[in-house]
Amino acid sequence: MTQERTRSTSTTGAGLFTTGRLLLILSVCSRGGVLLLLCAFALWTEYLNLKVGYNSARLVELSSGKPMRIFYEYSDAFFTMLGDPVQVMQSNGGMTWSIRVMGIQFTDPVAGLSVLVKNRHMPSGFALGLIVPLSLALIFGRVFCNFICPASLFFFSISRLRRLLRHVFYFPEYAVNRGLAWGVLVGGLVAAMIFGHGIWSLILPYFAVGQTIFHGLAFGTLYATVGSIAVFGLVDLCCGNHFTCRFICPTGRLLGFLGRKPLVSVRRNAAACLTRCTSCADICPLDVNPKLDQYRDCSLCGECLTICPGNCLSIGLKKGGQRVDV
Amino acid sequence: MKRRNFVMAFVVGVMLPMIIPLLDKLPARSRFRRFLRPPGARAEKDFLDACIGCGQCANVCPNKCITMAGFESGVENLATPKIVARAKGCILCMACTQVCPTGALEKREPTEAGIRAVRMGTAFVAEDICYSFAGRTCGVCYRACPLPGKALRLGLFEQPHVDPDHCVGCGLCEQACVHMPQAIRVISTNELAMGSYTGTN
Repeated sequence: MTQERTRSTSTTGAGLFTTGRLLLILSVCSRGGVLLLLCAFALWTEYLNLKVGYNSARLVELSSGKPMRIFYEYSDAFFTMLGDPVQVMQSNGGMTWSIRVMGIQFTDPVAGLSVLVKNRHMPSGFALGLIVPLSLALIFGRVFCNFICPASLFFFSISRLRRLLRHVFYFPEYAVNRGLAWGVLVGGLVAAMIFGHGIWSLILPYFAVGQTIFHGLAFGTLYATVGSIAVFGLVDLCCGNHFTCRFICPTGRLLGFLGRKPLVSVRRNAAACLTRCTSCADICPLDVNPKLDQYRDCSLCGECLTICPGNCLSIGLKKGGQRVDV
Repeated sequence: MKRRNFVMAFVVGVMLPMIIPLLDKLPARSRFRRFLRPPGARAEKDFLDACIGCGQCANVCPNKCITMAGFESGVENLATPKIVARAKGCILCMACTQVCPTGALEKREPTEAGIRAVRMGTAFVAEDICYSFAGRTCGVCYRACPLPGKALRLGLFEQPHVDPDHCVGCGLCEQACVHMPQAIRVISTNELAMGSYTGTN
């Protein structure tokens, strides 16, 4: 009886924009935004050069009606809106793992660990940059992976490709122990101590994406990190859905550990949950099982919310051990 | 059994990052190390300890002379900022020193006092190939120098004479040199400290 009722609500009551679909759209938009931001950082110095060149009257004369002039005028209007263009450019920059947006420093926890281990000294600004990423992980869990990491957009598209071609090709699905990612973290720290922090640019997928974008756009050259991205993509195709995010990426493992008891997470309505259905655990890209109320590693991607036939999953707030609806 | 799986996976994971140094197949001699660090860089070892390769200095450089090193400079210099003076010298705007989050580059001001405190390297003149020393008046390096008359002094036929006490090693003279290969070279402070460069001024 209960099952009959929930089935009917899932087909008639759910609109076009359910929470799950909204989360999916939001995650793609925000990761795309981060990607665009990285591209903008690499191209802004070009704009500055244009500005210097444009200030000569002869160039103004020559460029009338040219697309370059239109580009210049729009970007100039945009930057003037934000403030002094030179200052705006100096307050933004960096790769994903340590980035400065509007003068505020955001530090990757792995970068912080690496500096702490190798340098044994952290400037206060760099240490303060840890606050936002760590509190995000403590409150929401692994949301960095789903809303900020630009490499995860690449892995997301690979997982969609796997789903699209699942009747044409055979895609294997392997699982290894979580110890692998912890090992990569410790091994990376040891390698960083011996060889240098640059090692991380090939280990961390998002850092590799940042380096590749920067080199491609700012210098027009291919960087060694392209190879690392290709290897991660191949691993995702041949070893499992989101294999890199689940089993290799040390940042994901660290953030998953920090956010193992998130304040905000997926909440299950046990009364409406279908007894023998495991679709949420099957579709989860990060091996979370909402069926058993385990939310370690949950990145709030919303895949389980869209697939749940009983419509019993929602995003909820945990308060004093008891979960309440938002 | 579960703990054993964890330990085995952990050991495999620790080995994975160690593959990267193995990719660095270049022999030590053929590595490209003749580059400068951005202005305000600490001593080479301290610099490498602090620099995380976040790329903010390269992002902010208006002259685009700061590039990020790849495998060509060895695995220890991977993703660290470098300046190849012959390609593009540093204009000493000090924007990179203002943004460095880890203190690998010490903060400097773009004033004359700030510029004088910079020690990226020292210029060396190869007198056997320099045009001015062959009697053909050139003086291009002198005109490129940010501290003309102090770091670089002119002699007969505009022959350049470097003063190592004042030369900041920005590399603008090397960029400007019209001789091919360059008759004036900036050798980084690190290379001079290692004593591998045998030129004289």
